[in-house]
Amino acid sequence: MKPSTLLDAHNQTITTQKLTLSCPILDRFLSGGIPCKSITEIVAESGSGKTQLCLQLLLSAQLPASLGGFSASSLYLYTEFPFPDRRLRQLSHSFADSYNTHIGSLSYDPLDKVLVQAVHDAHHLFDVLLKLDSFLVRRNSTQWPIKLIVIDSIAAIFRSDFDNTPSDLKRRLSFFFKISGKLRALAEKFGLAVVISNQVVDFVGNNDGINGLRIGNLPCLYTSGRRVCAALGLSWANCVNTRLFISKSEEVIGEGSGFVEEDGKFSVGMRTRRHIHVVFAPHLPPSSCEFTILREGVSGLESRDHLVANSSRQ
Amino acid sequence: MEVMRMAISGTQRGKLISAGYTSLSSLSSVSPSLLAKDLNISEVEALEILKAASHSSRLDTSGGDHAILTGAQNAWEMLHEDSCVRITTSSADVDDILGGGISCKEVTEIGGIPGIGKTQFGIQLAINVQIPAHFGGLGGKAIYVDTEGSFMVERTLQIAEGCIEDMEKDKHFRQRDIRAVKEKLLPKDFLANIFHFRICSYTELIAMINHLDKWVSEHRDVKLVVIDSVTFYFRQDFEDMALRTRILGEMALKLMKLAKKFNLAVVLLNQAATKCAEGLYQLTLALGDSWSHASTNRIILFWKGEERCAYIDKSASLPSASAPYSITSEGIRNSITNCKRIRMM
Repeated sequence: MKPSTLLDAHNQTITTQKLTLSCPILDRFLSGGIPCKSITEIVAESGSGKTQLCLQLLLSAQLPASLGGFSASSLYLYTEFPFPDRRLRQLSHSFADSYNTHIGSLSYDPLDKVLVQAVHDAHHLFDVLLKLDSFLVRRNSTQWPIKLIVIDSIAAIFRSDFDNTPSDLKRRLSFFFKISGKLRALAEKFGLAVVISNQVVDFVGNNDGINGLRIGNLPCLYTSGRRVCAALGLSWANCVNTRLFISKSEEVIGEGSGFVEEDGKFSVGMRTRRHIHVVFAPHLPPSSCEFTILREGVSGLESRDHLVANSSRQ
Repeated sequence: MEVMRMAISGTQRGKLISAGYTSLSSLSSVSPSLLAKDLNISEVEALEILKAASHSSRLDTSGGDHAILTGAQNAWEMLHEDSCVRITTSSADVDDILGGGISCKEVTEIGGIPGIGKTQFGIQLAINVQIPAHFGGLGGKAIYVDTEGSFMVERTLQIAEGCIEDMEKDKHFRQRDIRAVKEKLLPKDFLANIFHFRICSYTELIAMINHLDKWVSEHRDVKLVVIDSVTFYFRQDFEDMALRTRILGEMALKLMKLAKKFNLAVVLLNQAATKCAEGLYQLTLALGDSWSHASTNRIILFWKGEERCAYIDKSASLPSASAPYSITSEGIRNSITNCKRIRMM
């Protein structure tokens, strides 16, 4: 057994490869992007943009290294139906438009580089992961190796099949660790970035219970005015390296607020604000970043709140 | 009197002493027949005494002065042996409750929920073990066994920079000395002295631990072994819990032996788990009750309001206590909100 070196032949530190999110602000927030050989989890309630982020990553992976991508294809394992194919197509058009100078050939279709597999339950997911090993060996000798695996979402397959009895919880726990162990081994062997999305559950009961357990930088997670916690509990939290949380809040915008939309008109009504937070990560400080979902994809917002939040934490 | 420690009967010992044989050397040149005559015993008995004497003197030359077994020491000697070397955690408060830091020759377990800073402690210690001797450190190297993939080079670099900055700020050293030393201290060198092993299955982990003895004996300057985390692979694939307990027990023994033999610190990072007892769910460290015997010291990290806290759950030599700490961009540091609030429990 030999240790891996942390310095290369030229005595330079070997930095972790990161996958860009195709947005400079979000990349800066994650200090470069989604790290390889590690599992990144995105926790959010439905409709807050976790699938949007996942889809964007599937395309970002195809970018050349000069733009922060891997020049690689990606694998999308989805458990929530239906597959968002229309949105992916829409994103791929704008992706092809904005990067056509880098991609070159006209026959290039980003959708060709996204592999999709439906997953129905935990057993199925584990089977797929077992088969992936030989698949990746074959695939990675081709021109477009797979460098990104996205599981969207992990909670769906675990929330239905298991009862809340000690024996079932134990069975579920052993699945968590088996799946996470397999993913980590694959990530290490093939240098993959792994992104897993997870749902939230409402927080019930008082603060003292085991559910009120604080995990990570945020004392409690709030989204849409509800207190929530990440689904699948404490044991799953041990199975990921980095956890990100998206919070959503509605904001009333009146004409008097002076908020001007891009087209010059005053917007009236409700506006959804989304923030992504670092819950825990081995390499990131506690921070958050606001983002918005546009037609062309997810994009970070440079906000004053973000700066204030950062300086107050120092 | 050396004859007191020979494996012979009391009467024989009494006869030896009254005949003037008190030291082992006085027995080394005497013949069995002469001894038999002097002690008024049979020659066979005299031969037995001489055998016991030569056995004792052999032990004496190989071991310490008064060893019953090779390598054994008495408590007095252990107390006076070059007082326990410790690795600082970079938080003075946590160091205080630990009696100066993580001690060498011992196995220390650090556990807590995700995001509390276990890996940060692991990386910090791997850097701090390298603080050179003239800055009060050990000047050793570190082995980092990574089972979870949480070891990040960029973070390690940051912590190394923070550590160097701290050393330069240290007021005990005069400006001139610092300049002389400064040239030698580069964050990169800190990275070069961390041997990082990425482990992908529990068989690999066991093989790694079995291999450590040989590996460390070839790299004597290793003063710290961090296993991050010891738990991960033992929470999957084990239907047979008795087997798991045996494997874990054996692993723990090997690590303790390693710590003693090479005078190094072993730090095991453990996850937190919920334990279901009589219908109530409690928070505890993973791997079960029998595992709690595996480490000499056990530190639990937890959130206390807005603050991170370290609590000594088990230690043979330290009182139970807790101390706040914080994680900054430079690494583990004292908690900012309160400097002096260590509570003895």
